[in-house]
Amino acid sequence: MQTKAMKELLTPRKLIIKIVSAAIVLVLVMLVCSLIGTESISMKEVFRGASKQAVVNPDYEIFVKVRVPRIILAAIVGAALASSGLVFQALLRNPLADPYILGISSGAGLGAVIAVISGINWTLWGRSPIALFAFAGALGTVWLVWFISRLTGKFHVTGLLLAGVVVNAFFSAVIMFLTSVAKSREIHATIFWLMGNMIEEDFFVLWMGAGCILAGILILFNISPQLNVISFSAEDAKSIGVNTARIHTIAFAVAAFMTAVAVSLSGLIGFVGLVVPHAVRLVFGPDHRQLFPLSSIIGAIFLVAADTLARVIIAPAQLPVGVVTAMVGGPFFLVLLVKFSKKVGWLG
Amino acid sequence: MSGIIEIENLSFGYTPKSTILKNISFEVKPGTFLVIAGPNGAGKSTLLNLMCGMLRPSSGIIRIDSKAIESYKTEALAKKVAVVRQELTPVFGFSVFETVLMARTPYFNKFGFEGQADKRIVNEALQATDTAQFALRPLRNLSGGERQRVFIARALAQDTPVLLLDEPTSFLDLKHQVKIHDLLKAAQLEKGKTIVAITHDINLAAQYCDETLLLSKQSSSIQTERNYYIGSTKDVFSPEQIERAFGIRTFVGKVGQEKFYLPLGKFAKDISQISGKPNSNQPK
Amino acid sequence: MNKWLLLFLIILFWSAAGLAIFGFQQDQNYSATPLPNQVDRIISMAPNLTEILFALGLGDKIVGVTLDSDYPPEATKKPKAGTFWQPNIEAAIAAKPDLVITLGFTQQRNLAERLKRIGYKSLTLNIEKVSELFEAIRIIGTYTGKQSEANKLVGDISEKLDKLSALVGTKAKIRVLWVVQREPLRVAGRDTFINELIELAGGENAIGPTLHQYPPIGAEQVIACNPDVIIEPAMNPKNLAGQQSSALEYWLRFKNIPAVTNKRIYVIDGDTVSRLGPRLYEGTETIARCLRPELFAN
Repeated sequence: MQTKAMKELLTPRKLIIKIVSAAIVLVLVMLVCSLIGTESISMKEVFRGASKQAVVNPDYEIFVKVRVPRIILAAIVGAALASSGLVFQALLRNPLADPYILGISSGAGLGAVIAVISGINWTLWGRSPIALFAFAGALGTVWLVWFISRLTGKFHVTGLLLAGVVVNAFFSAVIMFLTSVAKSREIHATIFWLMGNMIEEDFFVLWMGAGCILAGILILFNISPQLNVISFSAEDAKSIGVNTARIHTIAFAVAAFMTAVAVSLSGLIGFVGLVVPHAVRLVFGPDHRQLFPLSSIIGAIFLVAADTLARVIIAPAQLPVGVVTAMVGGPFFLVLLVKFSKKVGWLG
Repeated sequence: MSGIIEIENLSFGYTPKSTILKNISFEVKPGTFLVIAGPNGAGKSTLLNLMCGMLRPSSGIIRIDSKAIESYKTEALAKKVAVVRQELTPVFGFSVFETVLMARTPYFNKFGFEGQADKRIVNEALQATDTAQFALRPLRNLSGGERQRVFIARALAQDTPVLLLDEPTSFLDLKHQVKIHDLLKAAQLEKGKTIVAITHDINLAAQYCDETLLLSKQSSSIQTERNYYIGSTKDVFSPEQIERAFGIRTFVGKVGQEKFYLPLGKFAKDISQISGKPNSNQPK
Repeated sequence: MNKWLLLFLIILFWSAAGLAIFGFQQDQNYSATPLPNQVDRIISMAPNLTEILFALGLGDKIVGVTLDSDYPPEATKKPKAGTFWQPNIEAAIAAKPDLVITLGFTQQRNLAERLKRIGYKSLTLNIEKVSELFEAIRIIGTYTGKQSEANKLVGDISEKLDKLSALVGTKAKIRVLWVVQREPLRVAGRDTFINELIELAGGENAIGPTLHQYPPIGAEQVIACNPDVIIEPAMNPKNLAGQQSSALEYWLRFKNIPAVTNKRIYVIDGDTVSRLGPRLYEGTETIARCLRPELFAN
């Protein structure tokens, strides 16, 4: 007998339809945004291809070498931040968690500052030392926070949050100290870098980045039923048959890795990891089998749009994309909150 | 036969110095309805948590279906033992149906989706606990008693031979108290489940359960004294045992086949007419 | 274990596929110097670079500048390629440049690198000292086939500076406090090109060696360094006289330092002294006039 509840439930078919629709929207948004920029370019010129003669084809150059890589990067980073924000919201059972809550931001910042101070100049696979050190800093910090919280015994949300707060405060202080005594003027550049920046990367880097994020999302989708139970209650989870320790470790590691990749690619971009999962949950409900794919795609859409806005709104200057995500994301989220809280009678 | 619980020489203390449970041994045969009763602090919830594997004994062995509880993998244990604890309000807005469906997580297919059988079982559990009308509502919007019934439904949906419950009816109104007990009894009789429930309601316990485990507080002075009694309910709930465990005089009366228990507090009315004895707690 | 092995294999396959499709992008060898007669379209990412290009007679070939390139006045009419701190790579490409000239700090150096990777020729110059300015002028001359103009420009400036040195002589140096910001109080330290200008003009920085180039200092240090003259580069090019009188009032709080008691507080035009460019001599002379007005009475 099919009850009304059963009919409303998520089924694999419904999920696939939602994912495909969202993906189509993403592709459309990316196409439209690739046509927007401070320079107007004509697609006809773009299709003429790269010029073989002395005079280059700037429309092609701009489109293929500047805009497309940047838009793809925004999509990758948006997906990464949204998914990892979702993980932390589930693990910490806190709808206001974001990917940086456990010290990742100050860890990445410290890595970047150390890279600059040490004056290292070499690049690895075309990635600047700042990006690499930020990546290492982010991962190292997460591991440190994890380790400290284990000292408080088992996986306690409070222990984790406290460890994160302490590490964050300590590293931020170290960063401020180093910034004030460092002679290098490049230090100021790191602040700028940390504010979030989208620049074109070469396609191999984008390919690997996309691979990391896709793998992460697939793993998280795989453990979504267990994350549903954990986000409901930690105590009950074990009685229901969820190996909480194992799921915590996997989810934590994947989220930390994805965030570190995102930070190393584009600095610290706030709001995406907080607002997108939260908004998607408000609209679609708390089932993580739905939330992971949809949040990633919507996170990508959001950041591509925000970046496009950042590129054109105060031309010829460029706004840091983090400014746009906050200024646009905030009010948009408030509207969503009011509209859906009334409809559903819940908060999140 | 499934649903056998064997406890052998179980001792447990939260810290090395304090011992709450000392050398407890008993067996719960399959299809038995056991009630655990006793004063606060006697270790009832602790015992329940040990029986479902949440706590590790300091010494002694617990076996479910002849296999030591530690040797079970989490998922396998969840298919043997289901637990109902105090209800809680979740942070996220899971609906009643989704909440009960969580119990079926170990049975999901490899893509993480439930099957038709799972949905049917969830529906039956909702019907049995009288919560089907809330199926689509967020759990947070229900009252405490309604939420408690949903948690019971979830444990039922887990479809296990053993069902452990920690004060399952403490927030429920009279109708639902009785209905839930009816439901548990039916699960025992029709499906052969082994049911272990902690309760404070002696009267209801006496009406429904076969055996009772009466836990008293561990007295530190008398080391060798046993602080638990297990046996058939009518034997365990004698006036002397009750007074010893709870410190309250109780009048045990009988109406036809049913026994009832009347606690005699300071302000209880005079029943010397029926009991033949004065209420000893009454002021002279 | 099987799941993780599968994951590992997928990672391997994915990386290999990426390498096969996109290849490892070697740093394109576009840092090769362009031939001078091929440089017809130049983009300048800094106001002092723009001034240098105009001074070398390359004004016509400029196809892009930053928003703050305002001298000479013709520069303001050129298409904009972003701002000094935020270069706009799209605008740079759209201008079809043969050569993009940037300064050496991170944001601009990054732009040069990005353009190189895409296939444009770029030139990054560090101009933080007077000697570096001369060298930069010469390098630009080489890249653009204007070596003789470059040498003449450098020679001109050097000659005028030498004459100025002779004029101010080796008399007792005047102690100068160069204030770039009032709240919080920041001054130019000894490791700046401003310090070089001060010394060329016959002065000496009142502040001793500091860790930072533009250190924030406290009131104590202002009094301790006992400056004879205080110079503030103007925020606003208009109404210098008005800014000067309000500055005098502001500094009255430091009653006992010679600069205040002798009313030697000067607000001067900022551009010629904040940019290390062809107007170097004008800037230095302005400073010298503040320090020894009596020498310029004629």
